[in-house]
Amino acid sequence: MGKPNKSSVGSGSLVLPSSVSNRLHQVKSGKKRNGKSAFTSSLFVLPYLILFSLFLFFPILYGVWISLHEWDLLSPQHQFVGLKNYLDIFQPSSYLHDLFFSGLWNTLQFVFYSVPLLIGTGLALALLVHALPGRCKTFFRTVYFIPYSISVSVVAIIWLWILDTNSGLVNQYLMKWGLPIIPWLTNMPWAWVSLVIATVWWTIGFNMVIFITALNDVPEELYEAGALDGANGWQKLIHITLPSIKPVMLFVMITSTIASFNIYGQPFLMTRGGPGDSTSVLLMNIVDEAFKQRQLGTSAAMSLLMALMMITISIIQFKLSNKKEV
Amino acid sequence: MGNWKQIKGIAVAALLGTSLTLTGCGTNQADGKSDSGAAAGTTQVQFWAPFSGPDGPRMKAIVEQYNQSQAEYKVDFQIVPQSEYYKTIDLTLSSSKNDPDVLIMHGDQIPTYVEKNLLKDVTELAASTGVQPEAYSETAWQGGQIEGKQFGIPLDIHPLMFYWNKDLFQAAGLDPETPPTLWPQQFIFPTVVYQNGGELVKEGQINYNSPEAVEALTFLKDLVFSEKVSPENVQQDGEVTLFLQGKNAMHLNGPWMMEQWEKANLNYGVAPVPQLGTQQQAVFGNSHNFVIPASITDEKKLEATQDFLKYVAAHSMEWAKSGMAPTSKAVYESAEFQSMKQQPQVAKQFEYTKFSPSISNWGPVSEPLWKEVNLALLGQKDPQAALKDAADKATQLMKR
Repeated sequence: MGKPNKSSVGSGSLVLPSSVSNRLHQVKSGKKRNGKSAFTSSLFVLPYLILFSLFLFFPILYGVWISLHEWDLLSPQHQFVGLKNYLDIFQPSSYLHDLFFSGLWNTLQFVFYSVPLLIGTGLALALLVHALPGRCKTFFRTVYFIPYSISVSVVAIIWLWILDTNSGLVNQYLMKWGLPIIPWLTNMPWAWVSLVIATVWWTIGFNMVIFITALNDVPEELYEAGALDGANGWQKLIHITLPSIKPVMLFVMITSTIASFNIYGQPFLMTRGGPGDSTSVLLMNIVDEAFKQRQLGTSAAMSLLMALMMITISIIQFKLSNKKEV
Repeated sequence: MGNWKQIKGIAVAALLGTSLTLTGCGTNQADGKSDSGAAAGTTQVQFWAPFSGPDGPRMKAIVEQYNQSQAEYKVDFQIVPQSEYYKTIDLTLSSSKNDPDVLIMHGDQIPTYVEKNLLKDVTELAASTGVQPEAYSETAWQGGQIEGKQFGIPLDIHPLMFYWNKDLFQAAGLDPETPPTLWPQQFIFPTVVYQNGGELVKEGQINYNSPEAVEALTFLKDLVFSEKVSPENVQQDGEVTLFLQGKNAMHLNGPWMMEQWEKANLNYGVAPVPQLGTQQQAVFGNSHNFVIPASITDEKKLEATQDFLKYVAAHSMEWAKSGMAPTSKAVYESAEFQSMKQQPQVAKQFEYTKFSPSISNWGPVSEPLWKEVNLALLGQKDPQAALKDAADKATQLMKR
């Protein structure tokens, strides 16, 4: 629901290539593994493998199976239709085409608006908190992280109260100062502005904490050397801090993009996809198709396409950043 | 194999990225409870309802009274949260395993399930066990019918109601600068269409952009932009907030809102929706009905269900306490009921309540309508164009 989940956090190891490649190297150059140790090590993997298969791999396979059928939730028989569901999505005149691509367009808009802010604000807050003296640091780190622990429904209610057109906090102040009130949730582009603000407020703590950890790992000697060479604060940031935290930056970029791609709760609760269906995002459309239209086959096809797109985007991001490093 | 169904349910939910635990729980509850606590000789009846709000304890009280009133049958009452209700029902009924013996269904949902042959035709069963049509409001009884066959036994009707803030009205009488306000939210629209003599679906075809409907939407839009009865750009449920804060003088909403007004200590009045359209008095409403899954064939259970329904018809005064109006004449014609504040006002509308069109999948088919009406009320689209787009989209949906 717009937050990086556990598995994507877990994939953080993916962006620490040095340690991973070191270990691979050790394995290769070491003695040939005998059968017993191979058995032992596979035992360690087993618990994860079972959970992974049970809750991820088989459901995905089952999803693929569903997506090849005309699968009405209420019908006992499900007719095999091959790739028809996928072809329908790309058939410009079909209902599915509109549903999928209008949803995708809305989701992409959200990703485009929110990801730069999530990264920029997260980094800025991290630099700020990092520069604070000891005790303040802990305090502010906690303060900024608190919203992240709230559930999306609470976040939505808080922001609905703040942004309500006629009785919300913000518009009350605008009226008091004689300014025109803003239709925060009923007009474009304000609906996007509201959703992005709410999302940034909600999830920024996560990115910030990750960045703070990365900043702690930047060797102090580099800054000292820079200072000796007469670098000012800005130059230190550009030439020392940013290159040093690059792997973490990539991790944050990928998790933020995935999280933003998964946007669901905020528009579902705050704008209900409105005005009209201009903030009705892809995941909302998929859930609608599945449980309101009761068409599991087509919605499974839509969600698999969505997953495929997210995987592609992550790979591209990964490749691009790696290239620059060379 | 019972487990496999659960896994399937979980798999589907997980795949679609929705709440996995709740869907899983829905089937779990049914599995776990189906044969628990049954004493020898008593027939156990599983009863599901979406009453997760303040209405839940009311129905629970009725069920408990029933269980104590006799020893032959025992009703096991399960509340499935409203937001998960139809998802859970879909997953359960489509596999026909662990079906409840009786469940609550909204009137507008019945045609969808009947089309898929998932509900039991209870015409004969009701007649043979003494559940009498005459005991219920005619509108309600007919609301549970499809092509002359009875599928639902009505519990209540909840039409749109008209609420006003007495304090603001008094103030408005003294000060013409603050006239009463009313936000014509999109669910008022069908009421005005019906009052104009129009229909949303005509002979099975989408009829959203009939002249009556365009007139209705233009009227509602003008309330905002010409008559200035309402401020502009009211968001979803924004008018509820304003009414609760005592800043909105008039409000149309369902009878379930009563408990919220009471909690907010509003000095409010309640009445049938006035005639805003051009032709006749009418009001848009929905209903709660008892339905039985088609898979239930055990005679004993069916008898038990009917016995329970008869009991509910006679003893649903408790249900009225949440502000709703039961459709059993024994209740709504009684002196006790008539002395209540809101409830008799609800029952006054029974006679001319119009339910949503009796077509399969009304929920999804009506979705484009609410969105387009909303756009028109926000002043972002011309009523005629909005209704045409809604009709086109809905027609496309019907053809699927």
